[in-house]
Amino acid sequence: MRRIKLTLNGTSISREVEDNRLLIEFLREDLKLTGTKDSCGVGVCGACTVLLDGKPISACLTLAVYADGCTVTTIEGVAEGDRLHPLQEAFLAHGGFQCGICTPGQILAAKALLDSNPHPTRADIQHWMMGNLCRCTGYYKIIESIAAAAEGD
Amino acid sequence: MEGTSLSGKAVGQPIKRVDGVAKVTGRSRYAGDVDLPDMIFGRCLRSPYPSARIVSIDVKRAKALPGVHAVLTGADVPDTRYGRMCKDVPVLAKGVARFVGEKVAAVAADTVELAEAALELIDVEYAELPAVFSAEDAMGPTAPVIHSEAVEVFPGAAAGIHGELTMYPPIPNVISQLKVRHGDVASALAGAHKIFEHCFTVPSVHQGYIEPHTCLVSIGADGLVDVWIANKGPHIARAHMAAAIVVPENRIRFNPVVIGGDFGGKGSLMDTLLCYYLARAAHRPVKMVMNSFEELTAGNPRHSASISLRTGVDRDAKLLAIKARVVFNAGAYAGFVPVPTLHGGYGELAGAYRVPNCAIEVLRVYTNTVPCGHMRSPGAPQVAFAVESHIDMIAREMGLDPVEMRRRNAIAEGDLTPLGEKRRHLRCRETIEAGARAFGWDKPKPSGIGRGVSIYEHPPGNFGKSTIALTMGANGRITLMLGSPDTGTGFHTIAAQLVAEHFGVSVGEVDVVQGDTLSSGFEAGASGQRLTTTIGQAIAAAAEKMKQDLAALAAERLNCAPSDIRMGEDGAFSASGATIDKRSLMGWAAERGKAPLSCQGENTPGRPSDRTSFVAHFAEVAVDRETGQVRLQRIVTAHDVGTIVNPTMHQGQVEGGLIQAVGQAMSERIVLKEGAVITAHLGDYKLPTIMDIPELETVLLPGGGGVAPFSTTAIGEMSNVALPAAITNAVFDAVGVRLLELPISAEKVLERLSDKASAA
Repeated sequence: MRRIKLTLNGTSISREVEDNRLLIEFLREDLKLTGTKDSCGVGVCGACTVLLDGKPISACLTLAVYADGCTVTTIEGVAEGDRLHPLQEAFLAHGGFQCGICTPGQILAAKALLDSNPHPTRADIQHWMMGNLCRCTGYYKIIESIAAAAEGD
Repeated sequence: MEGTSLSGKAVGQPIKRVDGVAKVTGRSRYAGDVDLPDMIFGRCLRSPYPSARIVSIDVKRAKALPGVHAVLTGADVPDTRYGRMCKDVPVLAKGVARFVGEKVAAVAADTVELAEAALELIDVEYAELPAVFSAEDAMGPTAPVIHSEAVEVFPGAAAGIHGELTMYPPIPNVISQLKVRHGDVASALAGAHKIFEHCFTVPSVHQGYIEPHTCLVSIGADGLVDVWIANKGPHIARAHMAAAIVVPENRIRFNPVVIGGDFGGKGSLMDTLLCYYLARAAHRPVKMVMNSFEELTAGNPRHSASISLRTGVDRDAKLLAIKARVVFNAGAYAGFVPVPTLHGGYGELAGAYRVPNCAIEVLRVYTNTVPCGHMRSPGAPQVAFAVESHIDMIAREMGLDPVEMRRRNAIAEGDLTPLGEKRRHLRCRETIEAGARAFGWDKPKPSGIGRGVSIYEHPPGNFGKSTIALTMGANGRITLMLGSPDTGTGFHTIAAQLVAEHFGVSVGEVDVVQGDTLSSGFEAGASGQRLTTTIGQAIAAAAEKMKQDLAALAAERLNCAPSDIRMGEDGAFSASGATIDKRSLMGWAAERGKAPLSCQGENTPGRPSDRTSFVAHFAEVAVDRETGQVRLQRIVTAHDVGTIVNPTMHQGQVEGGLIQAVGQAMSERIVLKEGAVITAHLGDYKLPTIMDIPELETVLLPGGGGVAPFSTTAIGEMSNVALPAAITNAVFDAVGVRLLELPISAEKVLERLSDKASAA
């Protein structure tokens, strides 16, 4: 067991965790933040993407202790109260999701992109987002949504 | 219903999804997110052998592990076998394991890790038995018989099936044999100018939903069984569960959860029965989540198939007769599909063409491999790949342009389908023309570039019972209660739009509630692109009743006859100069105890839709002769459509389906070695990524339509079927290499290019 301190969605927290506790287990089971989704378990699908100090990582491959001293953003921390983030608005308006299971990961990956590159090209978006699988949309509307959010539509 | 004018507020508008905010904020509750007090976790031990006798299982050490609450083997569960049509799936293997990945024992423990540790402590002694992996081998006279006991078949097996269906015919390991005949194939072939014969194979692929199969079962103190499951048809799933566990249907409640992708794969109970028996043994709620290894090795993927086609044409390349044999490898169990044979295995065999004589044989065959289930348009992608490649090969041999070949043979008004059915409003040629024009089929192309075409026909699903309820509250808002989950397509939003359109109100005035299986009426669930059509009719029936009730109330309020009442576009009621809006009327009614108003709508479609839809795909590829690499550059997809309820979601169905077909064409394949799936994680099983999508143009031909209100039809299973052949046809066009098997791989193309070079 080890005590970790982190800033989670803007709030400082301190918790005891097992050394081998995965970040996804810590978020979903210990903190009941179920917006982060668990799917492939091997870091391929991107459904569990969260931001660690602003960078997208797979929570299924990351130990919770690794987040000690870091800032973690999950989908629960993207909107400000009832005000949706421009990416969330864009995914809604442009059909950027269907079943929604990959959507938290898509939005967080896209947020990291726009935070570092506010005006990505279509190719930039594709390169950046290749670690996030979606079986429903065929990706076109995900690209459209991210481009729209970047353009402030 | 055709020609209905629309309010401009609901149907036809790109309304944002009613479940959208929850989805983009992570608040949607999927089965895996449901957390109950005292919940524990189930895991199962799976057979490492494709065919083995279970000699003994020793669970003593597993039971002794602290934190373990239940351990079950085949001996601990009833003999009941489960199935959606053929009842052949045991809860846990009893005596025999029939595929690598079959469940032989299960544990429920405090945590997933503990449950897995307990599985390690279970000792199973197996005696290997002969196994058979290919469907052709399994039908041989010396093949091992995979199911020696008789399998109970749901009595409605032959309903809606064309031709002569035999369940469990006297051929080893055959589940079903279907023979369909129309016209006289032998005579037509005898008189043909030329006869062509080709064989194709299509591997199994996985549905690829990102949410794995998940279930949670809790048995209440009063005996009520609560179930949370990622399942697209909760009412039917409950009926199957009730029959299997011998608990009355009204003592089982399937609770609504959001579904993280279905694509046909979430119609079975999967682990739910086992989860129930674990919960019963442990006296605790039990959750089971398949991991992605289990999904890929022991889910219920699409059937692999081999398809042989023999076709006769006249001098003008007109199709005279087709003889076809389709063999589907069903894996070790038939119970995961709700049908005796795969409809796509014959219905779509040549639906887009005028074929006066047809003889089709479709077989589903047991093998010692992972049991197969349904995937978006079951059977159709396999058969469409064969037919659309075959037609292209005939065109090339006859020196005919592939588009001209299709134009010449396309089914047109007055023709019968190859199965001898009458259809109306056929727009196959128009669809081909529109796509060819947008694609620039006739324009010159650079070297190394190839172009291909494929077409497909499919009617909207007009089958299965739907029941919905509409309630109008004292505030005038309308609630739609239905029993179908939204599998991801946006159907709940479509339903809200349909309700709003009937009342001339905005979608914001309609709330959609998915009830559990006790509170909602029977609903057959999402399948065969049916929901908009079938629930659409149930909504229309309820709306009609409610409008009559409202007219009666308004007449009472305005002191006139109900027949004098007119409903305005804004949903207000008027008669001879006096007007009352819905809200005031309902408020008035509530004060008199006459609100809320509730109306049920039921729909049990009598026969399949005689209206159908067409799609034509055009693909452009670049082939690298040095490496054999095929790059899919561009697709034009042309669709014959009816009234589009929601353009954003409609296009989402087109695009999502197309990229699933790109996966089937370019990268996806469940690879088996000695019966075991070896593409066992998403690093090896290649779903298309955002880097794999081509430039896309969609062409829509409005004016088609189905049997549903507002002249809507279906889109969900139109784009995902026929595309792979357009791509392989384009590869042939580029470099002269004909691929008879999917998926396309650089290795195969390069090998064939080298063969050609050495032959030349």
